Amino acid sequence: MPAIFQISEPGETRSKEACATGAVGIDLGTTNSLVAIVLGDGKPQALAVDEGSTLLPSVVHYRPGGGPGSVIVGAAARRLAADFPRDTIVSVKRFMGRSSADPETRRLSPYRFADGQSGVVRFVVGEGRLVNPVEVSAEILRALRSRAEERLGIPVKQAVITVPAYFDDAQRQATKEAGRLAGLEVLRLLNEPTAAALAYGLDKRSQGTFAVYDLGGGTFDISILKLVEGVFEVKAVGGDSALGGDDFDRALAEILLEGKERTPRLVREAIDAAKAAKEELTKNDRTVVLFHGGRREITRAQLEQVILPLVEKTAAPSKRALRDAGVPEGKGLDGVILVGGSTRVPLVRTVVRKLFGMEPLADIDPDEVVALGAAVQADLLTAESPQHDVLLLDVTPLSLGLETMGGLVEKLIVRNTTIPARATQEFTTFADAQTGMDIHVLQGERELVQDCRSLAKFTLGGIPPLPSGLARVAVTFQVDADGILSVTAREQLTGVSQAITVKPSHGLSDEEIERMLLSSIEHAEEDVQARLLIDNRVEAQRILKAAEKQLESNGDLLSAEERAQIEASMQELRDAAAGSDHHAIHERIERLDHVSADFAKRLMDRGIERALKGHAVAEFDRGEMSPHAKKAYEALQEKEKPEPSNAERG
Amino acid sequence: MSARKCWSCGHEHAAAEVICPACGKVQPPPPAETALDKFALLGFAPSFDEPEAVDDKFRTLSRKLHPDRFVRAPAQERRYSLEQTTLLNDAYKTLKDPVRRAEHLLSLRGVRGDPKMSPQFLEETMEDREKLLEAKMSGNGVEELARGVREKRDSTLAEVRALVARGGDLAQAAELLARMRYYARYLDEVEGRTAEI
Repeated sequence: MPAIFQISEPGETRSKEACATGAVGIDLGTTNSLVAIVLGDGKPQALAVDEGSTLLPSVVHYRPGGGPGSVIVGAAARRLAADFPRDTIVSVKRFMGRSSADPETRRLSPYRFADGQSGVVRFVVGEGRLVNPVEVSAEILRALRSRAEERLGIPVKQAVITVPAYFDDAQRQATKEAGRLAGLEVLRLLNEPTAAALAYGLDKRSQGTFAVYDLGGGTFDISILKLVEGVFEVKAVGGDSALGGDDFDRALAEILLEGKERTPRLVREAIDAAKAAKEELTKNDRTVVLFHGGRREITRAQLEQVILPLVEKTAAPSKRALRDAGVPEGKGLDGVILVGGSTRVPLVRTVVRKLFGMEPLADIDPDEVVALGAAVQADLLTAESPQHDVLLLDVTPLSLGLETMGGLVEKLIVRNTTIPARATQEFTTFADAQTGMDIHVLQGERELVQDCRSLAKFTLGGIPPLPSGLARVAVTFQVDADGILSVTAREQLTGVSQAITVKPSHGLSDEEIERMLLSSIEHAEEDVQARLLIDNRVEAQRILKAAEKQLESNGDLLSAEERAQIEASMQELRDAAAGSDHHAIHERIERLDHVSADFAKRLMDRGIERALKGHAVAEFDRGEMSPHAKKAYEALQEKEKPEPSNAERG
Repeated sequence: MSARKCWSCGHEHAAAEVICPACGKVQPPPPAETALDKFALLGFAPSFDEPEAVDDKFRTLSRKLHPDRFVRAPAQERRYSLEQTTLLNDAYKTLKDPVRRAEHLLSLRGVRGDPKMSPQFLEETMEDREKLLEAKMSGNGVEELARGVREKRDSTLAEVRALVARGGDLAQAAELLARMRYYARYLDEVEGRTAEI
């Protein structure tokens, strides 16, 4: 390591360390995904990651053949969607944690599905390749990560990823798995509306009770939050995990497709044309749609007519959340925050105004606000002294319970309980000498097992054979700060117990996760290369900058020849850093270090001389130094000691 | 109150302290078999009334204990943080709700279990249910019913208070408690109405 510049530039090294945690906020959206980070000034900023835009379309295209470059993500993939409707996965978020039997997979879509062993949805893409929603999402996350690394010049390893508040356990698990697959440590899954409120709360320094109305591409979320003295308490959440702007597009596409034969390509085209028309109608009263070789005028009234029933579906969950939060009918509400691109639709704003009886807030870009809030949370979680002193207290979106006699659900943790939370319930055996007990974990608000979502089933064995009703089994639910559930069953007499982290019954099996991880290892080598390149580039830039500064202020210590030699090495390093060979960059860093070793020694001498003369030299205050610089400094001090065995010294 | 030693610095402190007063480390939760005083956890004496400033106290403790504050801490501290925050959330929920609060207060005095209810009360509950069902079907009168049950809940709560204040029979309190629990459930159901329509 080039000692010289590290010791001379403690400030710079420190600033590198400050953001070297590379903890970002990611909004993994249905339509678009974004990545944001809190920079030195404390403000979250969304990064331009796709053709100059902060929005990366959540579209993944698979080319036949596989191998490097066969996966395309973002706007480039979106452009391929019409030509390759089956190989281009759009709105994959709708399929996260869903089984192939889910109604979701049967809606209007151009995809081809394969049957997964455990009922997991799998798309057939690029000539018979099978991918599941977690893998597709991981591609989006991988693209966000590597493009953010390019923008920032530092490795990105940790992330807060947002999920709709209404996501159930299976959907949360799937999202976390996708993050892991993309090589990210998922610091926290954060509810999208909470993230939005966080972005607003910091901006406005406000106190009070707020509703966050979040209508995105595929999901609707409503949250009621209370902000008091820097603590954000989520009071209630609700929503519909299968309602969003995509449904508006589909409803309008149905009009365009009337009386036409529906090929996958035509369906894709109709949806795209409908989407464009919808956006046009946000600003204008009428628009002309070019579709299937024809022209057709669509008015805003027509659009509103087909989407009104959809928009009105947001009323019931909103009212319920208001009531759960103790602000019925919106009485006592201080503001309504709009989130999600679909809240740009004028009809949505009209409905919101009527529903809450007030003009909604939309000061922060509704597309970026969630990612910005996630970045703030990532900073809160990782920075030694976070830029903001805020704490988020979130809740469980849905009730969690167990199946009891007669197919009924006994709720252990009710919805809107602040997390982390725990609940224990005792059950007894109902047959004599019963030695096993089936534990069926469910999520949902309904009374009957068949109406709730099955999360897991397992059997507690080893119960001592006793008359019925004597053996007692305590079942404990623990929900962690990510909203993920673990279940423990324990027989009280013998202490026999069994614990599981809930893996959804129709989620991914262990084998599938293993297969996915294995295939991600194939990409791992590429990832490592990319990382090394970034690391070396950053190091090169830092050193070059420091060297320039030293040449400028202490150049008098060098002869013309020495100076020319150092400058030549610097130029070589600059050239190497512009290329993509990390070995070459590293080699030239070493070379520059070698060539400038004498210069370093003279700089040291001058520094000591100044210090002896009573000039305080900031660089030598070790307390101020980053650990890196300190180590380098100490190494240099070591070198300065007379070493009799070294003939060149003394 | 028993004392215990901080796992980190060895300082002896009251068992109710969740954070070591000497070194500021979060302490492990009490053993599972201990009867937890949820009032004490938030720093209050048991009471039928909602303790003053319970919200503030909850926020202050959350700031210190929440897992978000321990993302970078060693696994042991992260576990303590999770456990303590779980207990804190539950205690807060108990203290904020009149029925849960009364229930917990009585359980601290040794009142627990499901007592046998009088046939008279059971008949009353049957009637209430039927009326609720009718009101739900017809779509009106639900709010009046709820108001009636809320009044019954409040008067039962007052009865429990008076009973405990004069040092009466706590076994009788158990039955009143079961009634309150029933009224609370009934109200939950009534209030769930708008959402289902």
